Amino acid sequence: MSFVDYYAILGIDPAASRDDLRQAYRLAARRFHPDVNKATGSSALFRDINKAYEVLNDPASRAEYDHLWQDYAITTPSLNVDIIYSRKCLRPISEPQLLYVLVKIQPLLEMSMTTDAPLNLCLVVDRSTSMKGARIQHVKSAVHRIIDDSAAEDYLSVVAFSDNADVLIPAQHPVDPRSIKSVISIMRADGATAILAGLQAGLAQIKRNIQPKYVNHIVLITDGRTYGDEGDCLTLADEARDLGIGISAMGIGEDWNDRFLDALASRTGGASAYINSAAAVSRFLQERVRSLATAYAERTELIVGPVPGANIKAIIRTSPDPMSMESDLQPIPLGSLDGKLGTKLLVQFHLNTGETPDGNFYVGRIDVSGQVLGSVHREERIIKDLVVEITNQPVEEDPPPELLDALSRLALYRLQDRAREAVEEGDFVEATRKLEFLATRLFESGEKNLGQAALHEAQRVAQTQRFSEEGIKQLKYGTRAFLPVLGDRND
Amino acid sequence: MIKCPYCGHDNMEGALVCDECGLNLWEDLQDEVPTRELEDEANELSVKSGWGTATFQDRNQVIIHIRDAAEPVTIAPGSEFLIGRHDTSSGITPDLDLTPHGALEKGVSRIHAALRRGEDVLSIVDLDSANGTFLNGQRLAANQSRLLRDGDEIRLGKLVMHIYFK
Repeated sequence: MSFVDYYAILGIDPAASRDDLRQAYRLAARRFHPDVNKATGSSALFRDINKAYEVLNDPASRAEYDHLWQDYAITTPSLNVDIIYSRKCLRPISEPQLLYVLVKIQPLLEMSMTTDAPLNLCLVVDRSTSMKGARIQHVKSAVHRIIDDSAAEDYLSVVAFSDNADVLIPAQHPVDPRSIKSVISIMRADGATAILAGLQAGLAQIKRNIQPKYVNHIVLITDGRTYGDEGDCLTLADEARDLGIGISAMGIGEDWNDRFLDALASRTGGASAYINSAAAVSRFLQERVRSLATAYAERTELIVGPVPGANIKAIIRTSPDPMSMESDLQPIPLGSLDGKLGTKLLVQFHLNTGETPDGNFYVGRIDVSGQVLGSVHREERIIKDLVVEITNQPVEEDPPPELLDALSRLALYRLQDRAREAVEEGDFVEATRKLEFLATRLFESGEKNLGQAALHEAQRVAQTQRFSEEGIKQLKYGTRAFLPVLGDRND
Repeated sequence: MIKCPYCGHDNMEGALVCDECGLNLWEDLQDEVPTRELEDEANELSVKSGWGTATFQDRNQVIIHIRDAAEPVTIAPGSEFLIGRHDTSSGITPDLDLTPHGALEKGVSRIHAALRRGEDVLSIVDLDSANGTFLNGQRLAANQSRLLRDGDEIRLGKLVMHIYFK
């Protein structure tokens, strides 16, 4: 059990009197109590507020807690959470207003040079009939690369699945890479795609060596759709998350279900990727595994708790591996925190500020937690309160370029997403329109190929009332690849 | 409320990007118009409030309202319908000759743009004209066709016209 700073949770000084404590609790209850606030994040926050109050309100337990708190207070936090607002001053108006908040979770600099975290990795590989030929060959060499690259202390296992799953390499340290590589080489492609069986076998392998100081992760590589067991796969993902195991998914070609793989990955805070040519499998897999190995923290989570006057409209992870997060499932799993990139999320609020000017408007709270790996190995938790000012004074405020940039890129992804929704709802006029907007924005940004793809899909939808599987994936993952803020990969 | 200058969508106070069409609203506000002449031009671009249908079937005709012209022009475009101005020296005559509407002064090229009939749709393509073709205020990339909708505004150089489906 990790140490939780109850004073930070209640927003009071450790020297606060019992009266101060009660006042702070009453204020917090007005903001987050489930009776007044139905947001799932807020209820999650209130549980801790309640606990904090219980402990601190009793003099005996408070004294005991204070003793532990002294030790906690002298340690420097190893995570940093920065909040960037689209604007800090809002006008007092009766209509709802938009506020964007960029949440940047980053390792504290002096600690970011720790060595690679050990991996407990399972590769779950599709060997169904459709993988025959170049695909299976590329996957084999990709797995070979991972075996060659793995460190002595890593645990590695490989599961192949078609109608059922076979454990090709049971979880082990890669002490004899040649013999385990030869097991991979004889893998043949035949049968159907039963993803659940593959994931179950993979999970069992990971569980054998599950340790908190390891990065415990399953990478699924598939080119097809699983039939009938998608729901069970998602349940399995939830189980994995609760055990601190991440799942990443890579889809090869056009025929896999992108929404399903996205959901699978996002439930554990993992990543999903679209690989349009089999030859790219190795690069994608290597990149994914490298990013896991440079993880600074594992099992990071985010809670966003708005006050009753604020509503979360969207939470989007913008970097790495951009993905829309479900704000109703809180805490939101963010998986491993990349030691170089950190994690960035964009939260969109609708605020009802009312018409009373002058004063602070408390929007809500951001609560980030995670287990920092390496030498500092410990659970970290950072709490940030979101506050803006309401004023009638005209304020000259330029939106932060970083946030504006992320938003413009995000707009492309959302146009694509909404075009797809419109097609599903049978509104082909709307879908065509959205795709044309998307094409316009893409051409403006100099993205000619994607722009052409959008135009092509627009015509296709107008004429046949359908998307092409290839086109929609190209647009989705193409506009998504756009999302990381430029320069991220290099600094 | 912030009205998007591109698609006319009403965005919430505080929006930085249009929720409807993805336009960067902030940058758009910052783009100050440098000269008087261009400002007039910008004012001519009426922001449309609604969107017409994109469906254009075989039996449909196009009615073109040319700004400042007394009568609208009705056409039934074939697979490719050229718009431009007549040139005596080369003998080029487009399907729609805009010479009577001040094409030369307004920077319309001889072969400026074309309407193309697709399956149940009509699109417009700029044929690498000197002064550009604009669809609802947006300059088109040359040789890339864009779908037309009932009520769209087209500008060839400085010549503005509206397209209606009948």
